Amino acid sequence: MTTLRTRWILFAGLAVVVIASYLITVHFRTTASPATQAAFDYLETLPESSVVVFSFDHEASSLPEIKPISLAMLRHAFQKNLKIVGLSLFAEGTAIGYSLLRKTAGEYGKVYGEDYIFLGFKPQYISAILGMGESIRRVFPQDYLGNVTDTFSIMRDVEDYNDIEMVISIADGDRTVQWIEYAGPRYNQKVMAGLTAAMITSYDPYLSSRQLYAVVGGLRGAAEYETLLGKRGGGNRGMLAQSSAHIYVIALVLIGNIIYFRNRKRRGRG
Amino acid sequence: MRTRIPLLVCLVSGIIMFAQYFSSHPIAKTVYNGILEWWQIIFAFTMFVGVAAFIRNSLKNMRRKGEAPYRVAALVGLTLMPLLALIGGTKFGSPFLWAFDNMIAPMQSTVFSLLAFFVVSASFRGFRARTIPATILLLTALIVLIGRIPIAELISESFPKLTFWIQSYPSMAARRAILIGIGLGSMTTALRVILGIERTYLRGE
Repeated sequence: MTTLRTRWILFAGLAVVVIASYLITVHFRTTASPATQAAFDYLETLPESSVVVFSFDHEASSLPEIKPISLAMLRHAFQKNLKIVGLSLFAEGTAIGYSLLRKTAGEYGKVYGEDYIFLGFKPQYISAILGMGESIRRVFPQDYLGNVTDTFSIMRDVEDYNDIEMVISIADGDRTVQWIEYAGPRYNQKVMAGLTAAMITSYDPYLSSRQLYAVVGGLRGAAEYETLLGKRGGGNRGMLAQSSAHIYVIALVLIGNIIYFRNRKRRGRG
Repeated sequence: MRTRIPLLVCLVSGIIMFAQYFSSHPIAKTVYNGILEWWQIIFAFTMFVGVAAFIRNSLKNMRRKGEAPYRVAALVGLTLMPLLALIGGTKFGSPFLWAFDNMIAPMQSTVFSLLAFFVVSASFRGFRARTIPATILLLTALIVLIGRIPIAELISESFPKLTFWIQSYPSMAARRAILIGIGLGSMTTALRVILGIERTYLRGE
């Protein structure tokens, strides 16, 4: 009974901390990490009309963390007048990718088929990644809305990876690994990622070996990117909630250990 | 014969895929592109198999006590989304996208966010400095937890640097070791399958 009550108190505490954090507005100074800075600098220096692929390789469950990353990077790409080819190698990422692309394209007055396109979902990601190295139009003969891909001006000069400057995989799992392992060595395709915080350490070896060009990691990465872009968004808004939750967990760990050592001391005396 | 033919198919396929990697001959390219297309077609059909198995399993388990509402909800969801897509399309403003944005995404995010509550509970009840290795792990976790939030820079500029060092050296060394192990293991398994030494995919025959 006591355990159950303690658990409820802990849960309620977290809920209060997070909800209260969203009610308060605090602006943090978020210094960009080298990985976020590299991602920003790359898009910043790309010439206008360069083609980048945004691959929405994630589920809906990670949306609160993934959405601010996607929005910040898409806004930057549209702001720099880059051409965006969107797709998804995860079924659930399809509807999300389409919505986010359409939303950001609307903000910058971009035209579907000229400035951006959404190719939709392809099952069997490995064959899709390898197939795109031979012919993107062959893998995606139709776009998400069922139109023939060839009819859009954006796709006229895009045949394979030779015409793509960068693949940006927005992922909450290991789908980016497949981009790195299959599009990288065989087709020399540069890959960068927008990842959930839980996945960052899994990609550190790829980042260190430069197989992965750059990473925008977690809500913190999104906040850093927004700061570099000069447009505050979901990343910065979530920083107080994330900071408060971290401090709450740290406090609980410390309190838990104090109780543990006090009880051990008592038992030792007894 | 039931074993030899699959083993032969596996050997030939493995050798073809291995050899074509080093060839830019048009025949090799055609074979490669053909295999990639077949791979996708076969995979797409496995989805139908998955859906059929799910429906069968749900109908079978519906008679179990207390399970019927959940099974019905699952089947309604499974039928509703493709129906909405077929009737109203998947364009912006379509019923399909509305259902996805307002039902699937919030429900999945809610389930995923439960993890935070489990982490809180576990950190209070399980994260104890009982031994020296446990203490090292605990201190490392606390440093990384602090180092990943903006407040860390206000406390000390060393926190983010220390976090970066932990991630770049001790953590990365462990990750690399695991990745190299996985890589070697994958290569060995692939060779064993191609050469017919590993036969568990043939139900152990």
